[in-house]
Amino acid sequence: MSSDAATIASTEPAGTPGGATGQDWRPRAASLLGALVIWECAARLLASPVLPPASAVLAALIAMTASGEILGNLAISLGALTIGYAAAAVVGVGVGAAMGRFRPVEVILEPYLNALLASPALIYVPVLFTLFGATRLTQVGAVFLHTVFVITVTTQAGVRNTSPALVEMAAAFGATERQIFWKIRLPEAWPFVMTGLRIGVPLAVKGMVNGEMFIAFMGLGALVQTYGGRFEPDRVLAILVVLILVALAGTSLLDAVDRRIRRPA
Amino acid sequence: MIAISHCSKSYPSQNGEPAIPVLAGLDLTINDREFVCVLGPSGCGKTTLLRLLAGLVLPDAGELTIDGRPITGPSPECGLVFQDFALLPWADVLANVAFGLEVRSVPPAERRARAQALVDAVGLAGFERHYPRQLSGGMQQRVGLARALAVDPAILLMDEPFGSLDSQTRRALQEDLLRLHHQNRKTVVFVTHSVDEAVRLGDRIVLLSARPARVEEIIEVGLPRPRPDDLGTSPRFVGTKEYLWKRLKRQAAAGTGANVI
Repeated sequence: MSSDAATIASTEPAGTPGGATGQDWRPRAASLLGALVIWECAARLLASPVLPPASAVLAALIAMTASGEILGNLAISLGALTIGYAAAAVVGVGVGAAMGRFRPVEVILEPYLNALLASPALIYVPVLFTLFGATRLTQVGAVFLHTVFVITVTTQAGVRNTSPALVEMAAAFGATERQIFWKIRLPEAWPFVMTGLRIGVPLAVKGMVNGEMFIAFMGLGALVQTYGGRFEPDRVLAILVVLILVALAGTSLLDAVDRRIRRPA
Repeated sequence: MIAISHCSKSYPSQNGEPAIPVLAGLDLTINDREFVCVLGPSGCGKTTLLRLLAGLVLPDAGELTIDGRPITGPSPECGLVFQDFALLPWADVLANVAFGLEVRSVPPAERRARAQALVDAVGLAGFERHYPRQLSGGMQQRVGLARALAVDPAILLMDEPFGSLDSQTRRALQEDLLRLHHQNRKTVVFVTHSVDEAVRLGDRIVLLSARPARVEEIIEVGLPRPRPDDLGTSPRFVGTKEYLWKRLKRQAAAGTGANVI
């Protein structure tokens, strides 16, 4: 053993994706509690019909859960969300990888990708409705179109930025082009792919609500439409809470999968 | 035996200017189990020569053969050690060392055993689960060396492997490399720009000319192996270094930039 073996740059555990560590929850909980108190007080002071107090939203949430409205519609929404998101992940990673790897594919597809990224995804919903009517396909399609382009563009960036030194190293050891893709390009692009997938979760939830609000008779989006029309802001906000929880749960699930994949063999 | 005959290589330059010749009719023969250091002014084409031997690029003209077979691509007979280490940042030490074996579809159990043996051999026992960024430069290059040796190549190609290390670490790795070479003699082609390193390690030193590179001179080092601890003060060592310095300076002056060693 030689002298330099003793100098270790750092010994922190490898690969902790996501920001939060075990210590962060205290200030976060305090902040959340503070915000709720401010909300409650402000709403009671203003006594405005558009700003229900936090306690009223909580009561609405409990009532709607008890009546089965939330769970029934949540199940419908989650189905569309899962299918649409999974399809977007597969297509986005596939097309993005092809674009990042093969310059001609990139040259041909990049203008379309940029155009689609720039367009507000909400405008796809009426188009889908025209095509598929008030069906699940519209619902799933809305989720897909809200999500797929971001995943494509991040994957493309990741695969394109493979370091030539590592590719050359693999080639020198006799790796085939296929092995280089699976053992070098994809792992190197993985943080980019994960970023796209993480950004994609809240976008998919948005797509789901946008689609359902337009179709207006199924899922949580339809519920928003109903209570929005009846001007019951406490119920609308209660659904919003559920939607936020869905997005957070989705992101956490993704992080858990990521940690499992990155765990050394 | 490695035979390089009349080997030429040029690289296309940008903006449609004429191609830059890097090697011009280079001839060189390297014997089995020989430790050859390739020395030359900066940018003279040392790395290109190594890439040709590794089969990563093909010559424009001339021929390179290993035991009479022409080099047409990367060969399992060669193990490469890179200047910038080229380790996989997402893989731990053991997985990095096993990379060449993985590519060659060696079964996992055998792969692990072989990688572990090489991790021990380069003095990294206990660091198997560390990631490259947790290691010093010297330790990272030990991983690079172990990875190259793990595939048990007949030829070890090393491209300025210790160039980015501080002088103490560099000495430690040089000594370990000499020890490993003594235990298990392989053909080593070692590219360096350090005169000291070349004389310390090599059986023969191939001095290249400024670009486009030809073999300017071949120097037999003639120092005993294993190299003694007081090598640095041996008159032969000092004399060879002085001689090489003078030759190298002249080569550098003949090149485009005057003092670019």
